[in-house]
Amino acid sequence: MKLQELEKVFYFMKRDMIAFSTYKTNMILMILSALFGALSYAFLGSNAQMQSVLELYNMNLTTYLIIGIAFNTYIAQSLTLVQRTINPWSLEEVLVSPTRLATFIVGSSLWGFVWSTGVIVIYLAVGILAFGVVLSVNIIGTLLVVALGIGTFIGFSMAGAGVLILTKQGDPVTTLITIATSLFGNVLFPPQVMPFQLQVIAYFTPQYYFFTTIRLVLTGSPLITILPDILVLVLMCVAILPAGYLTYSWCLKKARKNGTLSWF
Amino acid sequence: MNTSSGAQELTTTHQYAIETRNLTKTYKAKTARFDQGFSIFKRRENRTVKAIDQLNLQIRKGELFGLLGPNGAGKTTLVKILCTLLPPDNGTATVNGFDVREQSMDVKRSIGTLFSIGERGFFWRLTGYRNLEFFAAIFNVPRHGRGERIMDVLDLLGLKDKAHEHFQKYSGGMKRKLSLARTLLADPPILLLDEPTTGLDVISSRNIRDFIRNDLTRKAGKTVLYTTHYVEEAAQICDRIGVLNKGKLIALDTPNALKEMARKGEIVEFVVENISDNQVNVLRRMGGVDVVTAEVLGNRVGKTRLRMRLENPDLLPKILNYFFEAGIRLVNFKREDATLEDAFVKLTSRGAAE
Repeated sequence: MKLQELEKVFYFMKRDMIAFSTYKTNMILMILSALFGALSYAFLGSNAQMQSVLELYNMNLTTYLIIGIAFNTYIAQSLTLVQRTINPWSLEEVLVSPTRLATFIVGSSLWGFVWSTGVIVIYLAVGILAFGVVLSVNIIGTLLVVALGIGTFIGFSMAGAGVLILTKQGDPVTTLITIATSLFGNVLFPPQVMPFQLQVIAYFTPQYYFFTTIRLVLTGSPLITILPDILVLVLMCVAILPAGYLTYSWCLKKARKNGTLSWF
Repeated sequence: MNTSSGAQELTTTHQYAIETRNLTKTYKAKTARFDQGFSIFKRRENRTVKAIDQLNLQIRKGELFGLLGPNGAGKTTLVKILCTLLPPDNGTATVNGFDVREQSMDVKRSIGTLFSIGERGFFWRLTGYRNLEFFAAIFNVPRHGRGERIMDVLDLLGLKDKAHEHFQKYSGGMKRKLSLARTLLADPPILLLDEPTTGLDVISSRNIRDFIRNDLTRKAGKTVLYTTHYVEEAAQICDRIGVLNKGKLIALDTPNALKEMARKGEIVEFVVENISDNQVNVLRRMGGVDVVTAEVLGNRVGKTRLRMRLENPDLLPKILNYFFEAGIRLVNFKREDATLEDAFVKLTSRGAAE
């Protein structure tokens, strides 16, 4: 390769590096995700997992994982739903219309939830038909837990989208929630396989209560037995949903004031 | 034009369709990180830019008002304030009698806004019709008759036959027309059109200008705020023109009156050979020579066209004398009528000097 061509290659890289470095938050979050991702997979492979699952949930590992993965997809989708609506150009077009912010958020997120619900049905159907997963669904309990989960994670999603409107790429809220979900959320392994200090953190995350209760209501546990966990989830939802909305509208207001709404 | 939608109920008795008083908007701008050395954690310098500076403007109902200004003059900022997207720092702005800060929903119901790159707000994998159907819903076009309204608007802009084609297959002109169609869906009394012809070919631009002048203002009686940096475009269609520079309104009048302003004095044009940049600057500094534009003629090596406004005709011999002394060869000379472009250059270069 000629020197001149090598110089061009360097300038391509330099251009991308400078552009990338302007998204400092995103860069730090990517590094954090990699670190915590490695930790999650280490716990997933631990021998203690199988024993804990059997003891705590009275279900086999396949059932445990299928439910965990299915609803984790749901949660992951929910977390980014509001973010996906903030295409700066369509956002401006919507904001100049006589449409309320709440209408915009709910309307923009609805299809994502419909689609995610379809994906969950596919996961569970494959689990039942191919792997012999046995479910005994408590319908009221499931609807209640799903509604609380949606409320909570939409709250996080709005907070994340709000921060993204300001940072433009990479929001710490969504990354931290994703990390917390994979590490403490009871998705692929129970927190009980982790050291005690980390277990304590899990009890402060809504993910832990969501995944614990959804497994139990899908496998026939009566609502009364999981009432304490559901009450914790209710409290978290009541706190996180309005906090997320307020964060989103505050960030949107700030971006409008600064005139940076369409900067991405 | 159909005026049956809900927006018309918002018509107020307010004298002006758009009015601003001491309107000011300031941006904080940071210097680029790598312009200050190679550190991603280094703090960047903040500076303040006044995008709109104490602006007082009144646009009458039914008027086609042109807002002319060079890039960065504050035209888009003003449009964004008027459509409630951007809150002003100081002063007031009312649209259709409603305050942009306090009555934003009423303002939104009163306006249709076309952003300069508004086609990016469309959903490229939907047809033109489906796109408008979505926007009709969020702009409160009544469900009953919504389909007819969409087809009427598409018909008005000559897009009826393309209604069910995907947006991504539309040409640039069609995309801009669909943007204009979107602003008309709710039949608002006031239209804010931010550089509606930017990037379009001559024919498409003319079609859109004719449509705005004839159909929207003359026939439908809508108030239009039309921003552009194309001088002749504004001169052709606008009832009045405001010239904005560095956030300030530096002139406001009819196109003819603005031309008159430039006509005071003498407009002369020379074609000369072998003139250097320094020699052009000498002319610029010459007393009584108001504006000098120099254009290198691409098809003739070494030839430059100089266009200048002289405060009085007696300056002409002085300039010819300078050419002679400096060894600049005069190839051609003519006297000209002032154009709106002359007025624009005069006004904006004066603003830049200040």
